[in-house]
Amino acid sequence: MITPPEISWVAIAPDLALAIGAALVLLVDVQWKPAPRVLGWLVGAILAVGAGLTILQWEQGADALASGDTESLVAFSGLITMDGFAIFSRFVLIAATGLGLAAGWRFVVSLGRRGAEATALVLLATTGFSLMVAANNLVMLFLGLEVGSIALYVLAGLARERRESEEAAIKYFLLGSFASAVFIYGVALIYAGTGSFEILGIRQHLNDFVISSPAVIYIGIGLVVAGLGFKVSAAPFHTWAPDVYQGAPAGLVGYMAAVAKVAGFAAIARILLTAFSDLADTWLPVVAGISVLSMVLGSVLALVQGDVRRLLAYSGVAHAGFIMTGVVGGATDGVLFYLAIYAIQLVGAFAVVAVVSGPDGAGSSLEEYRGLGRRSPLLAGAFTILLLGMGGLPITSGFVAKFGVFTDAWAQGYQWLVIVAVIASVVAFAFYIRVIVVMYMDDAGDEQPLRVGPERWVLALAVGATILWGIFPSSLLDLAADALPI
Amino acid sequence: MVPVGWYMALAAALFLIGALGMLLRRNALVMFMCIELMLNAVNLTLISAGRAMNDLNGQVAVFFILVVAAAEVVVGLAIIVAIFRRRATASVDELSELRG
Repeated sequence: MITPPEISWVAIAPDLALAIGAALVLLVDVQWKPAPRVLGWLVGAILAVGAGLTILQWEQGADALASGDTESLVAFSGLITMDGFAIFSRFVLIAATGLGLAAGWRFVVSLGRRGAEATALVLLATTGFSLMVAANNLVMLFLGLEVGSIALYVLAGLARERRESEEAAIKYFLLGSFASAVFIYGVALIYAGTGSFEILGIRQHLNDFVISSPAVIYIGIGLVVAGLGFKVSAAPFHTWAPDVYQGAPAGLVGYMAAVAKVAGFAAIARILLTAFSDLADTWLPVVAGISVLSMVLGSVLALVQGDVRRLLAYSGVAHAGFIMTGVVGGATDGVLFYLAIYAIQLVGAFAVVAVVSGPDGAGSSLEEYRGLGRRSPLLAGAFTILLLGMGGLPITSGFVAKFGVFTDAWAQGYQWLVIVAVIASVVAFAFYIRVIVVMYMDDAGDEQPLRVGPERWVLALAVGATILWGIFPSSLLDLAADALPI
Repeated sequence: MVPVGWYMALAAALFLIGALGMLLRRNALVMFMCIELMLNAVNLTLISAGRAMNDLNGQVAVFFILVVAAAEVVVGLAIIVAIFRRRATASVDELSELRG
């Protein structure tokens, strides 16, 4: 007798909406060959449905947590959770998808009939990562990770008329699959050591039993962190990031980088802080080491880049280090707040790149930004605010985010890590300022203003969020504080 | 009966061979095969651990990894073929146009 598993449609409603949406986009495209505008409205509606369902989930999850009924938050026999942590991350993912698609819309349109495939791939990638952040089972987490990653490999190579796009795709694919294999081997070792794939089951096991073979579990944790560290481009697993950011279609890089970072860090935080909280003494030094290496290497290497995309890639490595300090601090709300803020700023910054060097081009030399302040003052102003926000200037949201993760790490007894992090932030300021100086101090070779398409909405929202949550951060901080993992 | 530790050791050796091949070989196709070898080492680990603990979860997980590996083959070979068509080489050393 086979008992059918209980199916909780509520737990996967947003993911289902996105996956069905992806199929719908392809079918509608084949049947009616709609104009890009129609396709845009369709994708917008799909994302709105996904976001709306996520908000409904939040209400339900909050009710269950308030009544102390955490059992009802786990669905599909323990595969999927709908705790606040998952729902908050999922909402950030969907928001980043909407902004990222708007930033890359001119590229999608330029693909012609292949545009629908690109949007379907974007929706599928978001579905995968959204399942990944909600996974309570390491195999489920791996499946979500792969659904998202494989779609991103294709997106990186989508501008296949250009050699650089192909090169970015093969580099991303080979190193990405390598990291996935490392990750799943870590999961297999953890399973061999604890007898469970479930995050709650692993915690239970480590609570109840004296571990018979700790080495297997330690190696497993190390491999899992290495595999996910690759996805979030933390040093020393960051080597792919500059090449992929530089070669992939400009319009979509912001989206690709943002969702991979959000999902990867949500998974790292959930695995380390929930499943292996009892072994914190073992993994804390390793994560702190990765954090220091990322911050130092990212900040220093970003200083010598002559290409804005590579600069943003190395700044992303440094940001991975800063978010890692939040993981060391052990508080999920700091990490979630940082991820939300950084995802929006990253998509916004790459929207500027897409305007300056074209939505499908490769590279974005610093030379092209010369005199941008005079050529397109609004665009340059938006980029300045986003860069200062990434740098963590007070009264921008970046400052609040950095302050949050640093205080968490300080309270955890990692004062030296915070001191390194503050020094790295100051160094990081140098290269953000360098871009700003080039935009305002130098003369433009070309005085023609740049044409800004749908990117203007992305920039307006990203700049608004950066300033608004810099001055009044409590609205988002309160949400992040409620978004606890089970 | 062979003790389960031997299977795990064999899997670890296969995984290491795959990882080393990935790092040392320069042909995209061979690197790709090394990734497949690593995934199969994972499968062997899961099967033997599941068998040792009399737990079905480990053996079921293998099917999911097989499916993921198949999906990776589809995308990976497509990318490699696209590159080979244009450059008539599958060596990753030739791919060095992106630098800053």
